[in-house]
Amino acid sequence: MTTTTGTARTRYRTIDLVVVAGIGAAFGVAFLGYGALYSLIGPLTAAFKPAEGLLAGIWFLPAVIAGLVVRKPGAAIGAELIAATLEMMLGGQWGWGTVVSGLLQGGGVELAFALTAYRRSTVPVAVLGGVLAASLEWVWERFAYYPEMSWGFAIIMLGFFLVSGALLCGALGWAATRALAATGALDPFPAGRELAGADRA
Amino acid sequence: MSTATAAAVLGVEDLGWRPASRREPTLSGVTLHVPAGQRVLLAGASGAGKSTLLRALAGLLDPEAGEITGALSTPDRPGERGLLLQQSVHALVAATVARDAAFGPENAARSRAQIADTVRGALSAAAVDVDGEASPFDLSGGQQQRVALAGSLALAPDALLLDEPLSMLDPSAADAVHAAILEAAEGRTLVVADHRTARWLPHVDRVILLGPGGRILADGPPGTVALPAAELPPPPRPAPGAEVAALEAVAIRRRGGREILHRDLDLALRAGELAALTGPSGSGKTTLLRVLLGLEAPAAGRIRRPERERTAFVPQEPEHSFVARTVREEVTASPWAQDEAAAEELLERAGLTHLAAANPFTLSGGEQRRLAIVAALAQRPRLLVLDEPTVGLDDARLADVVALLDRAREDGCAIIAATHDERLASRADRTLALPARPAPDRPVSREITPVPHPRRTAARACNPLTLCAVGLLAAIGSFGVSTWQIGVLGLLPVLLLAPLAVPGWRSAVLRLAPVLLSAATLAWTTALLSPLAPLSASAWLLGAKEASRITLFVAPGVLALASVDVTALGDALRTRLRLPGRPLAAGVAALVRIGHLRGQWERILAARTLRGLGSARSPRVLASATLALLVDTLRGAEQQALAMDARGFAEADARTVALPSPLGRADVIGALVGIALLLWPWALRLMIG
Repeated sequence: MTTTTGTARTRYRTIDLVVVAGIGAAFGVAFLGYGALYSLIGPLTAAFKPAEGLLAGIWFLPAVIAGLVVRKPGAAIGAELIAATLEMMLGGQWGWGTVVSGLLQGGGVELAFALTAYRRSTVPVAVLGGVLAASLEWVWERFAYYPEMSWGFAIIMLGFFLVSGALLCGALGWAATRALAATGALDPFPAGRELAGADRA
Repeated sequence: MSTATAAAVLGVEDLGWRPASRREPTLSGVTLHVPAGQRVLLAGASGAGKSTLLRALAGLLDPEAGEITGALSTPDRPGERGLLLQQSVHALVAATVARDAAFGPENAARSRAQIADTVRGALSAAAVDVDGEASPFDLSGGQQQRVALAGSLALAPDALLLDEPLSMLDPSAADAVHAAILEAAEGRTLVVADHRTARWLPHVDRVILLGPGGRILADGPPGTVALPAAELPPPPRPAPGAEVAALEAVAIRRRGGREILHRDLDLALRAGELAALTGPSGSGKTTLLRVLLGLEAPAAGRIRRPERERTAFVPQEPEHSFVARTVREEVTASPWAQDEAAAEELLERAGLTHLAAANPFTLSGGEQRRLAIVAALAQRPRLLVLDEPTVGLDDARLADVVALLDRAREDGCAIIAATHDERLASRADRTLALPARPAPDRPVSREITPVPHPRRTAARACNPLTLCAVGLLAAIGSFGVSTWQIGVLGLLPVLLLAPLAVPGWRSAVLRLAPVLLSAATLAWTTALLSPLAPLSASAWLLGAKEASRITLFVAPGVLALASVDVTALGDALRTRLRLPGRPLAAGVAALVRIGHLRGQWERILAARTLRGLGSARSPRVLASATLALLVDTLRGAEQQALAMDARGFAEADARTVALPSPLGRADVIGALVGIALLLWPWALRLMIG
């Protein structure tokens, strides 16, 4: 274990900044291609809109991956904000709502990392991040998009959000980060080297 | 040597470097001093540590990413040592050529007047021959490399350190960049790392040959250092086989445009033949490959090619095609390449058997190239299509690739390669040379200007912050909608004001279509899932209220944002709101390369569909494409961070921006519009609610 001083742990190297922004932008581009995923569950959502919550966790991936890789305050929220800004700039359907969502989703994931003082990159932390992001996003959607939905349906939607946040953001995000580490692309980052360690040895 | 050492500007003493991810050091015990004004060529095979040594000489080894031993001289000021990279696209940080050149002076917190002066001088010194307002991402590799050179020169470097600056360029572009570099290096220290030495030898004072671990094998004036040369075997001369593929009077268009690039292209390719598709970058080679592969239709003419299963493709970046966890699985990943024994034989032939269990992404550049080729050959293709298969390879690695291709030809595979590498093109049986597009010969402007936009709107007169405020205020106002009548009336001013923000109705409809679709979905959802009786008349009216409310929430922002430019927004956030300069600049740099990133995404998806791995809608393909895009982004980020730090970004907390972010009369009007949109629904509520 290498020792690092407090400032080294929070000071952003240029590569940290570029990687946070790059992860956000890359997902912004990939998201444009993900619309196809919604057609997979199309029949379900046409009859029961809240089922879209099943895919909600995918949108928080930039935050959890950036947080797992860079492990510095602001990485998760920064990446999510870039992805949301990109979506908004390219004419996404929710306009400024997208940026509010980005801040809340990134903020939820950020909160999970902050609770460990940015020291841990484990599955439980990633899952907690996904769950917190899902909760905040649900509050926002309930307020801004679905205020007239009955409470019963809203609670079902919350359930979908939480499951999706835990699995598609938390577990999948952690697995994706590990797959990235195995490619060597995360070698400039301590987190990447730790995650790759098991695979390399 | 002792007097030279005393005057050295660049030097390392007993230097060792071990990346934190490796057990063995990549450099060990390297001592090298370069006196001021000397011109040095660093030669040696790929993997000898040339790039790492250049980083060390530039003072840019990152102590958080590895272990440094020994001593190295560090720069006294940011930008003292300019650095040029192999892939110029990684060095680009801005939406226009002039803003890119301004990046270094901005980091050094110069004033706007100083920045404008410096940029003019740097663009001219680097022989950049495009307008300052051009997008650097649309330029050819040769022009990009000169833009990168201008970016270095803008900080008046004492030394220029160049990492294979010509290896990705076509011969004429390489000549132009070479000339620009030599002229710019006048009076400065120059260190060039390049495995292709001939071009540099007449212009350097000293040649250093590096061996494994950065060990200096030879060091002396040119002519005294024996440089390794590889001889290629003569190309196979196949007996003429049956025709495999043909182009007949084909015409191609520029991508996404209507302009015809070339007409009447003809080519007939027989089994066992190699065809070279040559031409400078931007001449349409890649477009023609896409047409040949059936990824897009020709503008005219006929194409014959084998069935999909027997047409294999290798992209320029091998990593864009990788999908498996191990080298062995990669070879049989395609459903059209299931013969395990043949795969083993191919791995053996490519000298990759000892790496069969490794992750494909962890291989060296030359190994990755060979793996991508054998994965394509595992399809037993009748036609193999390659995009720049030898670019950047040194002679030994080139010989390995050529041997694989020769063997495939002997087995009857026809090969077509887009290439500007004479070493490969000279082996071809046929050549299709696409002529260069004539460059407009006219004086260029070197002024820093806002990012040009083809279509003007009235809203562009406003500061981006004002436009953001209009959208946000209107979104807050939308919460005043309590009935469908208020919602519909609330939308009236938005409709009336829309022409100010978009260049025409067509564009307004295009931008609003996704919004309206979402609003319709929301109406349906509300009618179905509200506490009222599902799909009753009152539930539908509630749905109508929700649809109009959400449209009012979203539409003004979407319309206003159509006139917001990312660069101008970054400038406004920096000058007007004083947000931290470095994160802001990194964010803008990421957002301006979206076009490039979308291109990479398309190439990654195409490489998968051409291997028969599924459509671009399959979750598996999307997942592996996302991983490949992230790897591409992360690798690019490492290079980009290096290029930015060489331009003084690491300490640029006080950075300035090259252009003002004016607030004027249009912003007063904009603010009033925003306030009106905020209050209007609430006013309606008082009147008719």
